[in-house]
Amino acid sequence: MMKLLMTTVAAAALALTFGASGARAGDKWDGADDLPTNPLACDSSGGGTVAAKPYDGGQPTGAPDKAGKEITLVDVPKLIGIGYFNATSKGMQDAAKELGNVKVTTDGPTEAKIDEQIKFIDNYVTRGVDGVLFAANDPVAIAPVLKKALSKGIHVVGYDANSTPDARQWFVNQAEFNGIGKALIDSLAKEIGEDKGFAIVTSTFTTPNQARWIAEMSAYAARCHPKLKWLETVEAQEDNVLSFNQATTLINKYGDKLAGLVGMTSVATPASAEAVTKAKLCGKVAVVGLATPNAMKPYVNADCVKSVVLWNPVDLGYAATYVVRAVVDGKLKPGDTSVEAGKLGKLTVVNGSEILLGAPFIFTKANVKDFDF
Amino acid sequence: MTSLAAAPPERRVPRWLARHETLLAAVLIVALAILGALNNRFLTLDNLLNQGRLMTEVGLIALPMTFVIITGGIDLSVGSVVGLCAIALGYSWKNLGFPLPAAIAFAIALGAICGFINGFFITRVKVPPLIMTIATLALYRGFAEGISQAHSVRGYPEWFYFMGQGELFGVPTQLWLLVAAIVIAGVALDRTTFGRSLYAIGANETAARFSGLPVDRIKLVVYTLSGLMAGVSAYVLVSRVTTTRSDMGIGYELDVIAAVVLGGTSIFGGSGTIWGTVVGLVMIQLLKDGLALTGVKGDATIVVIGTVLIASTLLASSLQKRRDVGG
Amino acid sequence: MSAIAMETRAAPRASLLRRLSSQEVLLAIAIVVLALVVGAINPRFLATRNLSDILLGNAYVAVAAIGMSMVIISGNIDISVGALIGVLATISGSMAVAGYSIALAWLVPVLVGIAVMALQGAVIAYLRIPAIVVTLGMLSILKGGLISVTGGKWITDLPDSFHLADIELFDILPMPVLIMVGATILAALWMRYTAQGRAIYATGGNPEAARLCGISPQVTVVMVFALHGLFAGIAALLFATQLKVIQSTVPPNLELTIITAAVVGGVSILGGVGTVIGSTLAAILIAEIASALVFVSISPYWIRAVQGGLILLTVVADIVRRQRRVAGDSR
Repeated sequence: MMKLLMTTVAAAALALTFGASGARAGDKWDGADDLPTNPLACDSSGGGTVAAKPYDGGQPTGAPDKAGKEITLVDVPKLIGIGYFNATSKGMQDAAKELGNVKVTTDGPTEAKIDEQIKFIDNYVTRGVDGVLFAANDPVAIAPVLKKALSKGIHVVGYDANSTPDARQWFVNQAEFNGIGKALIDSLAKEIGEDKGFAIVTSTFTTPNQARWIAEMSAYAARCHPKLKWLETVEAQEDNVLSFNQATTLINKYGDKLAGLVGMTSVATPASAEAVTKAKLCGKVAVVGLATPNAMKPYVNADCVKSVVLWNPVDLGYAATYVVRAVVDGKLKPGDTSVEAGKLGKLTVVNGSEILLGAPFIFTKANVKDFDF
Repeated sequence: MTSLAAAPPERRVPRWLARHETLLAAVLIVALAILGALNNRFLTLDNLLNQGRLMTEVGLIALPMTFVIITGGIDLSVGSVVGLCAIALGYSWKNLGFPLPAAIAFAIALGAICGFINGFFITRVKVPPLIMTIATLALYRGFAEGISQAHSVRGYPEWFYFMGQGELFGVPTQLWLLVAAIVIAGVALDRTTFGRSLYAIGANETAARFSGLPVDRIKLVVYTLSGLMAGVSAYVLVSRVTTTRSDMGIGYELDVIAAVVLGGTSIFGGSGTIWGTVVGLVMIQLLKDGLALTGVKGDATIVVIGTVLIASTLLASSLQKRRDVGG
Repeated sequence: MSAIAMETRAAPRASLLRRLSSQEVLLAIAIVVLALVVGAINPRFLATRNLSDILLGNAYVAVAAIGMSMVIISGNIDISVGALIGVLATISGSMAVAGYSIALAWLVPVLVGIAVMALQGAVIAYLRIPAIVVTLGMLSILKGGLISVTGGKWITDLPDSFHLADIELFDILPMPVLIMVGATILAALWMRYTAQGRAIYATGGNPEAARLCGISPQVTVVMVFALHGLFAGIAALLFATQLKVIQSTVPPNLELTIITAAVVGGVSILGGVGTVIGSTLAAILIAEIASALVFVSISPYWIRAVQGGLILLTVVADIVRRQRRVAGDSR
């Protein structure tokens, strides 16, 4: 009797779960952060002009004047141990060496957990550094600890993944979200054609950058490539093997209907390329995405992947370091419209307190061997 | 004549000194002294209070986990319950229109329900605790992801942040909560029949049953408490980080178990104290913090914590044996 | 007298079959039924490519679950195996890139795996530290150590001959499946028909009785962990050689998946019960479920909830069945 009851309860719970999963995959996508999308025009060559906004960043209180003197910075990325943040870290070290009076340490959680990241930053704030560089796991959750840093006179500059504007002084943006969305969809459409199907492999839906990019991609595709069929989006954390298995499952599920895979992280793209290679579909299923060149070399060289979109993360870290130096030296103040960033030249200020790195960088067979990250 | 007289007093280690918790506290004090000497920001009141704030979420859960482990069980789903309750808090407030205090109460109640479900299956259907809570670890996290659909809920009114970020008489608010919970839990375990029955169940469940203890009901209570505290912890967490995410609480179960086990509670059940858990909790938190302040990077810190965990259990266990042999 | 004699004589022959009667058959049925149901919804699920991809991509979980089952049957647990596999995969890849012979790059990780696990086993058995404490501590040490040493740098430029998982014996049998099936069968037979194998069940079921029978629980535990290390090492090889790059980090949640496979496979956490055949079938079922959920387009937000629900269902069904059998036997 009890067993019957138990089994019924369990079965009912299961049925409820199945029923609740009403939405079919890929149906709803609204950025998961309720922000509006802003697709670019279909024919502009990458990144339109962004209207000027008044400065909206936060400011440190009582920051000591260290203009021209040595400063110690800490860099707390989303997580350590992936190629992308190894690259940004390298850029920071390069900048530090060039500048001569900057010391940067990279330290962070081994998994992309916001709570851990907060604790890391908190410890460094207590320890007393001159500046914090960060790439946020969550824009809102990271704000309190960053504001605490500002209140203790520590400079705060973000890169790669923003926080709320008032929690940091400046944010170095690799590219606008809609610019990345456009670049990815345009490369995809060019390779597979206007009316084919594609699927996306991402890390998790709760990663803010991912959510924004995918939302922008969706809006841009609807606007400029309406015949493209977006089949599905799958999650694969930041794990290589899981991404590979997910990509393989997508290939098997859709067969000929799938003409392209878009990898949204530096883990998902090589894994998708591997899945296509293993399925012996190189050339028939296009792989497009964001990735670091080293991981993609075998596939680019085998002509399985035509191009890899990214900005240069080394440049990103490099720029962020120069921005902090400029802030401390008083060369970058609220309301300025550009900043000098060493070998990158002059970078423009957009959106009030964002510094734009530039156009996305495309790695192809021709240039992939020149990079080592 | 001299046979039954104890061994010469000078050679015996006094009982209270050789207790696991006291030894651990001694190790803790030594470690703090060393770390404090290496870095002058570590032993400041400001820093210590801040660490107290940061360890509250894990600490709240470690208390009922001590109860659970003493009875010989385990609860691996606590992290997922935190995630689910956090999402429930935000969702019920924003999407279902609950007034915020009601949403908070709902989230905590949901935690209790999750714990109750665990306890129900463990006591009535007789699913072993490890298996049941591994399954609910996935199930509850899954519900958190499904309900939230990757949306975060933010924009709470100012008073909401008082718990997670505010201070009462100069001490972080949640720390008061934690201390109160510790006192209640400690008294419950040490001084009440309920507490004593936990030890009895853990030591020998069959005997406990035969002596008339309502074993199933007691177990149900401890698992419900475990879920309830996870719900409270979720409230503190959301208040501290001002947002809800479905990945909140991932990994808490291991942090909690580490604190409890480090504190001397035997994983086999039958022994352990709240005081031990508190020392274990404080030790892990302050070690991590002290090492970070001294300049040890995150990855090396993890290695040290792991080593400390094994080493101190080893130390305590061998001293325990010597005490058993000598007295 | 004679009844007992008859019983003991009949027991050895029938008992392997009897052990296979319950959870394992349930799992096999579940695998087939699920495949048919999903195949009805989307016939591409039943394509040979897809089925073989499911097996190939997850064989390493099944192999690791063999060792984990042994550990659990002996009455212990291990949560460090995921981190260990990450470390061993990195060692393997690093050696291959550094120019060591492929044979060494395959052998050394396995040996390291055995050593690390045997060490843990010794600490658990002889120093009487509970398994959960030792393996929790070791998990941290391995995870932190891996990042410290590698800095998270991925291993690329692996030589072509490194890829064990790509080898197909006689051009038809893929290595991962071969290893998975072979290891399972060998381990199952060993555990059932050798004294050392049966000692594992004895130690897990009733250590006191085992000791009285002359089995040394300590030696058995060390042996079990050493074997667990062996299987973890082989699993690490399969894991490392699948793709062209090795992510030198700890694969997330791997130990949980492996434990789930063992537990859903019928291994009782109380020790003393279960077979490795069950855990391999469970690993296959778990992989199949993951693929099936994508095929039937379950909203990705609900995938984990469905997985958890299915695990719960399997476990409850198993408990219920066990209880019914006990009630039936005692009549």
